[in-house]
Amino acid sequence: MHRRTTFRIARHTVELMLLALLLTACYGSGDESAQDKVINTVSTVDANGFKTYKHSMDGTPTTLDPVQAATVYSNTTILNIFDTLYSYKYLKRPYEIKPNLATAMPEVSDDGLTYTIHIKPGVYFHDDPSFPEGKGREVTADDFVYSIKRHFDPKSRSQGAWLWSGKIVGLDEWKKAGSDYSQEIEGLKALDRYTIQIKLKKPYPQLIYSLAMGFSSIVPKEAVAHYGKEFGIHPVGSGPFILKSFDTSRAILDKNPNFRQEPLDIYAEGYDEAKHGFTGIKALHGKSPPFVDRIIINYIHETAARWNSFTKGNEIQYTSVPKEQQNSVLASIDPLTLQPWIEKNFHHLFGMEAGFVYSGFNMDDPTFGYTGDLNKDAMNKALRCAIRKAFNWDQRNKAFYFGLGTVFPGVITPAVPEYDPDMSKESITLDIEGAKKLLADAGWNVDNLPTLEYHTSGGITYRQFFEQFRGFLKKIGYPVDKVKFVPYPTFGEFNKALKNRETPYFSLGWGLDYPDAENTLQLFYGPNESPGSNNFNYKNPAFDALFEKARIMQPGPERTAAYRKLNQMVVDDCVVISGLSRNRIYLWHKNVIMLPDREILGGFFMRYVDVK
Amino acid sequence: MDILKFALRKLINGIPLILGVTFISFLLMVYFGPDKTYELLGKNPTAEEIAEIRHELGYDQPFFKRYAHYLKEMVTLDFGHSEATGEKVSSILKRTMPISLLVILPGFILGNVIAILLGLVAAWYRGTWVDKTIMVGSVIGMSISFLVVIIAFQILLSSSYGLGWFPVRGWEVHDIPSYIYYVTVPTLATVFVALGYNTRFYRAVLVEEMGKDHVRTARAFGAPPRSIMLKGVLKNAMVPIITRIMFSIPLVVVSGSLLIESYFGIPGVGKVTFDAITGGDQPILKAIVGLTAVLFVLVLIATDILYRVFDPRVELK
Repeated sequence: MHRRTTFRIARHTVELMLLALLLTACYGSGDESAQDKVINTVSTVDANGFKTYKHSMDGTPTTLDPVQAATVYSNTTILNIFDTLYSYKYLKRPYEIKPNLATAMPEVSDDGLTYTIHIKPGVYFHDDPSFPEGKGREVTADDFVYSIKRHFDPKSRSQGAWLWSGKIVGLDEWKKAGSDYSQEIEGLKALDRYTIQIKLKKPYPQLIYSLAMGFSSIVPKEAVAHYGKEFGIHPVGSGPFILKSFDTSRAILDKNPNFRQEPLDIYAEGYDEAKHGFTGIKALHGKSPPFVDRIIINYIHETAARWNSFTKGNEIQYTSVPKEQQNSVLASIDPLTLQPWIEKNFHHLFGMEAGFVYSGFNMDDPTFGYTGDLNKDAMNKALRCAIRKAFNWDQRNKAFYFGLGTVFPGVITPAVPEYDPDMSKESITLDIEGAKKLLADAGWNVDNLPTLEYHTSGGITYRQFFEQFRGFLKKIGYPVDKVKFVPYPTFGEFNKALKNRETPYFSLGWGLDYPDAENTLQLFYGPNESPGSNNFNYKNPAFDALFEKARIMQPGPERTAAYRKLNQMVVDDCVVISGLSRNRIYLWHKNVIMLPDREILGGFFMRYVDVK
Repeated sequence: MDILKFALRKLINGIPLILGVTFISFLLMVYFGPDKTYELLGKNPTAEEIAEIRHELGYDQPFFKRYAHYLKEMVTLDFGHSEATGEKVSSILKRTMPISLLVILPGFILGNVIAILLGLVAAWYRGTWVDKTIMVGSVIGMSISFLVVIIAFQILLSSSYGLGWFPVRGWEVHDIPSYIYYVTVPTLATVFVALGYNTRFYRAVLVEEMGKDHVRTARAFGAPPRSIMLKGVLKNAMVPIITRIMFSIPLVVVSGSLLIESYFGIPGVGKVTFDAITGGDQPILKAIVGLTAVLFVLVLIATDILYRVFDPRVELK
């Protein structure tokens, strides 16, 4: 009996100790204990004045080869290693393009078909064993031509060729002829050592944006030949930083000591004291970037680890706020304010993503799309519109985005200049009765409603999206057992199903490649049907005709009007349930001088980062 | 000489096992694994571009030709380049496996040694509060998710919410002190969880041995407890103990620990393996599966030899 009692006491003691341990852990990371918290921020400038900036990202790039710079993670790192002809102004919003390696904006012929671009002389690639005696040579116009040609060489496995495919004279033909680098291309030439000429088949106003993307980074052929397939882990460019090491957990970039001296003009970059005064950027005016000696980009998927590392004070200096920490970071949502301890310890920025999330129908699937029978097509359209009316964006926003997302009608996102704030909100307004009436008027009832397969990537959040969506449909009388979850283990598998037109209804996100509504409207252009980017397989001759006209127009009121008309067509046909641009909260330590951006500007901001 | 002959014979007998494992794994990879093509596509691909990528990946080759190529890679130990990063697979493994070993080894050793000691104590005091306390501790270790343990240890020992003595994440190891600095928290988390499973298992094995005649006889002769436990019990219980430890080794060497590496930002082979599985990076997967199979064969041989060392009645046939 005595032994039993002793055992019980011992057991309870152990259990209580463990419970206390866990409670302390949970309590410590909670919001209440943290209110008076002071983060002991440790300077990242060492005794010799060596400055290090420790960045973090929520994903890992697989490769740093610019031809595969398809993710925000690879792009951010690549833009610091390589040069592009153009980039974006650091602080200016809406985004504005500016010369980078180019000396000026391109000289464009009157017909908009010929671009002449001069590059800066005296710019050198990083020193690397791939060059004779290990000394980087000068960057020339030929290097740009070579870098674009690589996208059209099947061996490169380019993910960026779509930017120039079918647009530059002779480029597609060059590929068909076997991608022989010794062969000249009529539309892509180096006129002399520092002059590039691009000839287009038809006007392509978005070309300039493509030349500011990581895909168009300029690479030296010597390094590509030297490293072969391993060029992606031994990238050699002429950018402000040189890659020191790269693995699944981080990339270390050291300052390029030979980077061209170009003093920062903060006013030309869009500096506004009211908006940017808190950052301390003003102190950098007139100095030449890069300002830090080393950047460490930590790739941290696990939000708990990222948050703990950020709040440690001597580890990472920047993070976006993880979803589970938003309650401890936000004091209120409307208006958006932060907890005092966050204000006290960190700088912050509320940033809206340039892209958006949406759901859509595969119009090639007779379940919801085209059937060839006009009556059935009309019924299907009513069904799609009813489902859209049942979609409760407010609840979606509150449940998954803390109510911080920006819900907008159509597919022209608030991040682009063509966005219409006055567009009717009907397509994003919950209307249960309207949806029921649409279904009834079109002849739909519980018996003849089709099974809705909800195709998406696997994972808990996606399952939760589905359950919420099923709840929305239940309210308009859609039988619960007719709404089915079809998850895929990886995005690649989901993408495969999309490209093979096996997804009658799907949910996706789109990251904007450049600040032009053409980038999202092309998702509905008929000739881009699967396996192209038009996963909806939407085919509307009126849309296609107007899109072809609008896409080659120079920016201006006429093009904006055409874009908005296209947007309306997509909305009227109930092809897509859209959309929501997520708002993220970015935090960084107060000893870092910067204005971070992971959207269109991407990694370009890092050359302007300084630490105290 | 007998041992050498035995090892060689076992090695030859292990070839069908390696062939079987690699064949089934490759079959699963090819027909049920993720299709890398659709990870590598650009935003607006054409059917022609999809075909190009499939060709580049070798997906358009007949299955048996691809399997024969795999076997050739196994023999030459040249698995080519990763489909994702372009890096040579051998370089990846050479770079990441030692890191994983350094991370996991202390936890693996401590987790087993402490568990054996606790098992011995629990077995000696079986039925008493000492035994029950150790068993309650084991159950707790087994019950709490490894993920929760990692996060709890990270918060308690590394973060600014806890003691903040160790780094939350990172791996900048260049000498013994820096190694201890980075490996302590991952090791504690590993030991905490491993102790649960191991102690319970070892106690059961040791208790069974305690009931044997030779132990009772030794006790009757008044042999000291340490002698009984080490010579009479532990040595005779070594066969199942060796089996458990040895068969954990291939997984420790090749697979690493995904959770530890992810949460502590350690660039080991666990993360590489996970990414290869989810991303369908076949060259890496082929190397991992092949090496694991070979290691298992080697472990089988070593285990049989060790049985003989601890129990001379075991014959090497």
